[in-house]
Amino acid sequence: MRPAIVFAAFALSFALGCSKGPTGAADAPGTLTPVTLPTDHPVLTPLPDPEANGGHAGRAPRRISVAQLKQSIVTVTGKQWSQIDNLAASLGQADYALTVSDSTEPNLVFAKFLDDGAREVCLNVARDDLNRAQEARVLWPEVPGTGRDFTTLDDATIAKNLATLSVRFWGSPFDADELVAWTATFKKVAARAKTTNKPEQAWGSICVGLMTDPRFITY
Amino acid sequence: MKKNLALPRRTFMKAAAGFAGSTLFGGLSFNAFAQATALAPADHCFVFAYFNGGWDVLLSLDPRDPAIFTAERISETRILPGYGLLSGDASFPTNVVRPQGSNIDFGPAIGRMANHFDLMSIVRGVNMNTVAHEVGFRYFLTGKEPNGSAARGSTTATEIVGQMKPTVPVANIAYNIETYNDRYPGYANALRVSSSNDLLLTLAPSPTALDSEIERELIDMHGRHVSCEADLYDSRGLVKQYRDAQSQMQTVLSAQLDRYFRFEDNASDPAAMRMEKAALRALYGLGPPVGNDLRSSPAARAALVATALKRGVSQCVSMNITGGLDTHFGTQLTHAQNQRVGWNALGDLVTDLRNSPHPSGGNFMEHTTIMVFSEFSRTPLINASGGRDHHITNSCMLLGKGIKHNTVFGKSGDVGLSAGLIDHKTGLPSPDGTQILPDHVIATVMKAAGIDYAITRVEPMAGLLA
Repeated sequence: MRPAIVFAAFALSFALGCSKGPTGAADAPGTLTPVTLPTDHPVLTPLPDPEANGGHAGRAPRRISVAQLKQSIVTVTGKQWSQIDNLAASLGQADYALTVSDSTEPNLVFAKFLDDGAREVCLNVARDDLNRAQEARVLWPEVPGTGRDFTTLDDATIAKNLATLSVRFWGSPFDADELVAWTATFKKVAARAKTTNKPEQAWGSICVGLMTDPRFITY
Repeated sequence: MKKNLALPRRTFMKAAAGFAGSTLFGGLSFNAFAQATALAPADHCFVFAYFNGGWDVLLSLDPRDPAIFTAERISETRILPGYGLLSGDASFPTNVVRPQGSNIDFGPAIGRMANHFDLMSIVRGVNMNTVAHEVGFRYFLTGKEPNGSAARGSTTATEIVGQMKPTVPVANIAYNIETYNDRYPGYANALRVSSSNDLLLTLAPSPTALDSEIERELIDMHGRHVSCEADLYDSRGLVKQYRDAQSQMQTVLSAQLDRYFRFEDNASDPAAMRMEKAALRALYGLGPPVGNDLRSSPAARAALVATALKRGVSQCVSMNITGGLDTHFGTQLTHAQNQRVGWNALGDLVTDLRNSPHPSGGNFMEHTTIMVFSEFSRTPLINASGGRDHHITNSCMLLGKGIKHNTVFGKSGDVGLSAGLIDHKTGLPSPDGTQILPDHVIATVMKAAGIDYAITRVEPMAGLLA
């Protein structure tokens, strides 16, 4: 009997040791100090347990609508895709005459036209950036100087700029492994852009990759 | 693009265990996956051809002998074929057309389509229940009578693609025609095109080209595995679907399919392709010397349909093949000429498909079902303005796979082209039969396709099925 009481007391003290209050102050016996949530912290809704959710983590991802795509492109690049209104029906926008609901299917036609649009917008932005000061640039804001040869950039600068772009385009940073892969890709395209004397294609093609990535078109 | 990543590690591991093994794409290299999605024609293709404006069935699908239905007997028959009024164009026959071996009579505007009598059934005496353009048109597109003028349900092409889920890249094309989808995911949506140029935009490389090596880097980037956590969040497959679409896009672009749809001669095309396109131009009369427009003529539309099916781009193509048929005024000749343009284009399409071997064996017409329709017909009598008004009793044509060949099914009355009661097993008039409605025609097409026709709420016409 005595060993059991000793074990229970030990377990209780251990459990209390794992639970820290926000202030670290000890509660008086018989009372609990209310936890004060920080006012600037976003309220997070815990995801349901996959076992109770058909084996899935969280709700089903969705493709953005044409209206969301249109706004997203302007938000991340400052430029609009000139053909988006002409192609809106093919991209899935309802016309409320023949089609009464938006299609958010990421099908071949959507993939093709988004690819066309990303190229148009990204290369236009990259050309503009070539003549902009660092603080005004959209696609390589972390790269100092006004040089057009991006093969001389060190890994840290490339990684920093890629991280900035990933947050801008996707709202989330690269994983470490992925950042290494994208850095390697950038080095290759930068070398090719230098060879072909088309410097806008260096960061421009990275922009195309980011904009046609599933993370740009889903939420 | 904000993501809620509040997923505890324990939860993640639990779900990952259940998800393991389902990420098929993650285990394949991108190139291997792209090869797996190589283009191949659908095993069963469909064409829906629409004659815009309401056709005169006396001139094509439901003729009458002018020696019997004379002007003197109008008060008795209420029918005037008026074939003599086509004498301004000597190329029109002045009598009913019946090719040797055919069980089907045609009117003088049938053109080259009559050559394919051995593959078709004509359905006569179809009661449209309407003489309003958009109502009759939508009724035939969906197989459901519209609510007022608003279409109900999906178009038949969408229904077919929705149920069959083909793997071709642009499964459903609607060329200058309405299309509806009321119950299937977006994969069944038709790509709506108003000209060949719209389709070319889909199939052609981006107008903004990148350096070829950079293009390759982008393709590799698309196929890159992100993380196990990303796979888990995509357990429902949306991202995989998008990546599949991207790889399919690369397959389409690398096949340079757009070149097959640019029917003009191009010196930079390979010799075999130039010869193929020259044969296509000759068959459809595209460009000189015949002079059909290479992009927008009915002949070019028919050539586009054939190319889309043969190249494995599409499974279902719906098109507005010809127009100018709403002829309340003017002459019979104008209507006949406009109608014949559509029939000739369709006749060339069928010739092309029967001359083209299908990879699964036989020719393409053995793997294709075609439905030809218009919203209603025109009055059997000519009005005071020399034209014909809207008439409720219609006809349509079904051809190819799953349909009985060289057959007439149903009948319109010899007095005023009225719709009658038809035995749906035999196709013969019967007092115990029922009227033929567009619902029955669509149910028959769906049954021929081997898909569920329950949405039509009628039985297919058994006597029409092969």
